[in-house]
Amino acid sequence: MTRSNSELDRLRSGRSELENHYIDELVNGNVSRRDFIRKGSTIGMSVPLLGAILAACGASSPATSSSSSKTTAAAPATKGGTLRIASTAPAAAVNPLTVSDAGGLCMLNQTGEFLIFDSNLKLALEPMLALSWSPNADASVWTFKLRPGVTFSNGQAMTSADVVYTFQELSNPSNASNALSTFTGVLVPSGVKAIDPMTVQFTLQAPNGNFPYLVSSDNYNAIIVPKGTDFSKWQSTFIGTGAFKLSSYTQNVGAMFVPNPSYWGTKALLSQTSFQFFTSQTPMITALQGGSVDVVAQFVPAGASGILNNASYKIIKLQSANHRELSMRNDIAPFTDARVRQAVAYTLNRPAMVAGLLDGDGSVANDYPFGPRFPSTDTTVPQRTQNIAMAKQLLAAAGHPNGFSVKLDTEQYEEVPQLATVIAQDAKAAGIDIALNVESQTLYYGKSTYGNSDWLDGTMSLVDYGDRGVPNVFLEAPLTSTGPWNAARFHNPTYDALVKQYVAATDLSAQRAVAGKIERLLLQETPIIIPYWIDGLTASTPNVGGLNPTSIAQLYLNTAYKSA
Amino acid sequence: MLTFILKRIGLALITLWLLSVIVFLLGQILPGDPGRAILGPLSAQSAVTALDHQLGVDKPVIQQYWDWITNFPGKSYTYQTAIGPILTAALGRSLKLAIFAFIIVVPLGIFAGVVAALNVGNPIDKIISVGGGSSTVIPEFVSGIILLVVFGVALKWLPTTATAPPGSSFLTSLKYLIMPVIPLVIVLFGYIARMARTGTVEALDSDYARTATLKGLPRRVMIRRHVLRNSLLPTITVVATQTGYLIGGLVVVETIFRYQGIGQLTYQAAQQKDFPMLEACVLTIGLVYMVVTIGADVLFSLLNPRIRLRAAE
Repeated sequence: MTRSNSELDRLRSGRSELENHYIDELVNGNVSRRDFIRKGSTIGMSVPLLGAILAACGASSPATSSSSSKTTAAAPATKGGTLRIASTAPAAAVNPLTVSDAGGLCMLNQTGEFLIFDSNLKLALEPMLALSWSPNADASVWTFKLRPGVTFSNGQAMTSADVVYTFQELSNPSNASNALSTFTGVLVPSGVKAIDPMTVQFTLQAPNGNFPYLVSSDNYNAIIVPKGTDFSKWQSTFIGTGAFKLSSYTQNVGAMFVPNPSYWGTKALLSQTSFQFFTSQTPMITALQGGSVDVVAQFVPAGASGILNNASYKIIKLQSANHRELSMRNDIAPFTDARVRQAVAYTLNRPAMVAGLLDGDGSVANDYPFGPRFPSTDTTVPQRTQNIAMAKQLLAAAGHPNGFSVKLDTEQYEEVPQLATVIAQDAKAAGIDIALNVESQTLYYGKSTYGNSDWLDGTMSLVDYGDRGVPNVFLEAPLTSTGPWNAARFHNPTYDALVKQYVAATDLSAQRAVAGKIERLLLQETPIIIPYWIDGLTASTPNVGGLNPTSIAQLYLNTAYKSA
Repeated sequence: MLTFILKRIGLALITLWLLSVIVFLLGQILPGDPGRAILGPLSAQSAVTALDHQLGVDKPVIQQYWDWITNFPGKSYTYQTAIGPILTAALGRSLKLAIFAFIIVVPLGIFAGVVAALNVGNPIDKIISVGGGSSTVIPEFVSGIILLVVFGVALKWLPTTATAPPGSSFLTSLKYLIMPVIPLVIVLFGYIARMARTGTVEALDSDYARTATLKGLPRRVMIRRHVLRNSLLPTITVVATQTGYLIGGLVVVETIFRYQGIGQLTYQAAQQKDFPMLEACVLTIGLVYMVVTIGADVLFSLLNPRIRLRAAE
């Protein structure tokens, strides 16, 4: 790299120790340009700063994208028009505290904004309502500087009091808050404090190097609302700071939004957005094909071949951490023996699964929660591949030379039942006879507590997990000894300690080093099997551009346009 | 007649009350709970418990039923808003679709049935009977998807959804309903035509029809004055009993064509364990069904004096 040392020195001055450490990592070639951008943004380094550092190091500026777009030539941006979007109907009231479904969270981000935006297109954190953020030495305290001049759609100025109120409500254990699954063990209401009208400080219950993700758009409930907002009535106003404001909302039918004239950022190009709610995917696809809508907000490959393999539609594909997880009860025979668990893993033909079940819109996974979406992944760990001979050998060594029979519980959701069928077929080659029990989600999840849920109690259980910006929740909830979603009943003190180290680490190299140990441990123990990662997909007609989707079903339309 | 109607209304009210109790109790034994249904399977148990408490579902069952019945229709657990407007809007949409379907299929079915009966054994009778019988077994989701693909996607003659844009005129909204109505017509046509045919054949074979013919009445007059009003009696019953299907049983059609009718609302309420909404939907469908069947009974008795006189006795 052709480096400008004097420029680099100039940029380094005034930076924190952690920031300088990241710059050293980049200069020494220990992190890629993409990882530098991503990790730097996590600790609050601005995009212009990152770009300047990269330029000084002789690399190009941050214009990375994790998306691919099969499209015809882009139509020129035009002002005006109504963009018609097919999206999943919100399953319940659009209440920022309680929303837990794709349709509901897509509605939240139409008018609501977060402190930070986790961009799937750039794979980096971007300032939104917070201009900058920084940790203390051990990442147990994070301080956020807010963006000045922001007003809510009712004209009220946004201050730190609103941010404090929002996060105190979200993290209050007495509230019916969906965000408690993110904040439990991380943040309590008393840990959120306003330092001044434009500064908020979060004091965490334990060091957390990835905390910015937990207050970013990744945590889809965390839109900032005015202090004192009654969340149960939010749906009647959709009050927020975003580029759009509510025009109308009709339960189960649709919603319309118009530009917010007092928006702090670049004004929206569209005159109006019109969301049409659907309760299943096929009608959404036919609506796009029939010209009733311009965009399908999010869809899965199954049943969408009419638009996936059609150059008449633009497809935005986002790398995501959306995956399926097969757990095996480590405390119930025959899965008490790690060799048996490994044997099951060796029977699987993962590339065929990606090709057949996902139409190629995904990538193989390696039985641990690290993957291409996360820069802290140690990519030197060898990929497990199908090896029936090895599977039989392991089974024989474990005392099951003729295989065994077991029941697999799973849910009726997207391609999950088909995956279960493929797993059963693959496992048969090694003599493992898997009987499937496919249930409705209500029956499968039950009360979602141990002893009351087929998901958590089944000897073998196959579940879906949605995208996250960091792997923390995948590492903790399903695999640590005290995790609430530990369907495998995996109790490993070494693993628990490694996860704690990983969560506390702010340094990418340190995270990666711990990740490598975690990956190798999980490959050895194989309490769970993760066969693949699934890309997020959004489709539009060719005359639409500027869409900014995320792989957790949000769709930002600030820069969207529709040409004639 | 008035006594007859009042008696029917009284019985209907008792039936509706029994229905409310049965549906409420059945809802209690469904797996899952409202708080978990709203917050999702991965939400913290403390949040679920807090929400269940807010919704009042941790109260005794009798208390919950009493709270609901004294505040009918009450507030939806899922949507956290008054049920009335949502239910009224959904019912309005379902009624629009049902009436549109009836306006097409009832005259068409009766006409075809009468034509078939007047030409018993002839090719036209066979075409109507076999064709109608075959069409009855075609599921709505099959014919619906074929229509969508052909007329909505390939030819782009008709919109692919049944919900017209806000502010659309009445005629525009009817245009959006053409495609979902066709599968319903296909399903109901054969049934109505067959009943009309059977009733007409019976009426044509009756003594009074033979007497009218022997009296010298022209065939056309005999059919119109004596046969039709009697042949339609079983058809009225069939049409009335199909109301329940058309009002509350169109979940698949409503899903395929993106039409938020009361069928889908009921289905979603059952999935979400939204008891107040589920109860309100079921009772509304039951009420509509009762009103239509009472109306059918009244029409029946108007067309058949023997029924009227027997009721008076």
